[in-house]
Amino acid sequence: MGKKQVLTVAGRYDKVKKICEFVAEGARQAGLNEDAVFHVELCCDEASTNIIEHAYGAENVGQITISYQASEERFTITLHDNGRTFNPEEVPPPPPLPDSIDGLAPPEPSELFFDNLQIGGLGVHFIRSLMDEVHFDFSKQHGNTLTMVKYISSEAQP
Amino acid sequence: MTIWQEMLAENIHLVGARGRLDQSLNSQLEQTLTELLTAGHTRLVVDLSEATYINSGGLRCLVSAWRQARQQGGNLALCGLNQRLQEIFSMVGFDKVFQIYPTRNAALKKVET
Repeated sequence: MGKKQVLTVAGRYDKVKKICEFVAEGARQAGLNEDAVFHVELCCDEASTNIIEHAYGAENVGQITISYQASEERFTITLHDNGRTFNPEEVPPPPPLPDSIDGLAPPEPSELFFDNLQIGGLGVHFIRSLMDEVHFDFSKQHGNTLTMVKYISSEAQP
Repeated sequence: MTIWQEMLAENIHLVGARGRLDQSLNSQLEQTLTELLTAGHTRLVVDLSEATYINSGGLRCLVSAWRQARQQGGNLALCGLNQRLQEIFSMVGFDKVFQIYPTRNAALKKVET
């Protein structure tokens, strides 16, 4: 198990890139390929943005602490904040798009489709789709902790 | 990292993104597209061939501009997405919402009609 690396930044949008770069560097060192590093970066971006937008509700309200740790098989990332509970597991997936019928071009998405594109929902959908494990913990004493795992052994699979 | 624009043909505008479409660049993209649409330029091609990254904020910005263009009787097409961006669009079904073309010329022909 590699040493746990930790970074704490102010909850501001201009710090999100720093978070992404910090984790991406660790992911490369852990042996993830560039596609997997891209996925990890995107998920950290979305998770950090959701913390600022939803847990804190604005910039400069609190801090975000991000850490990662690698083993031979797993690259584990945690994001911690002390904002309001924002449970990504409660966010519904994006609404389905209309399918094409008999080879015809699909109809344009309705107003309802866009109305149902819940704020934060796209980012949560990326996190669910691109990470191999996602856990969320909340306690009044310790705040919110999002844990995301990318399997190192699986990323080489097609 | 920058957002650039040029006129492709009569009343068809090209907007390009160079670099990462993240928090820092999305606001520039949104501003550029909003200014064009507000000025009545509703036939738009967004060239993403030099975009290396996009997050959900970038997607929302493009969806918003596409909706506004359609509501004003225009159109917005995308071109030049690399494989990673294609994957992101597909993951949320936006490859079905947007007209996506490999080249700028193909996208131009679409918004001309």
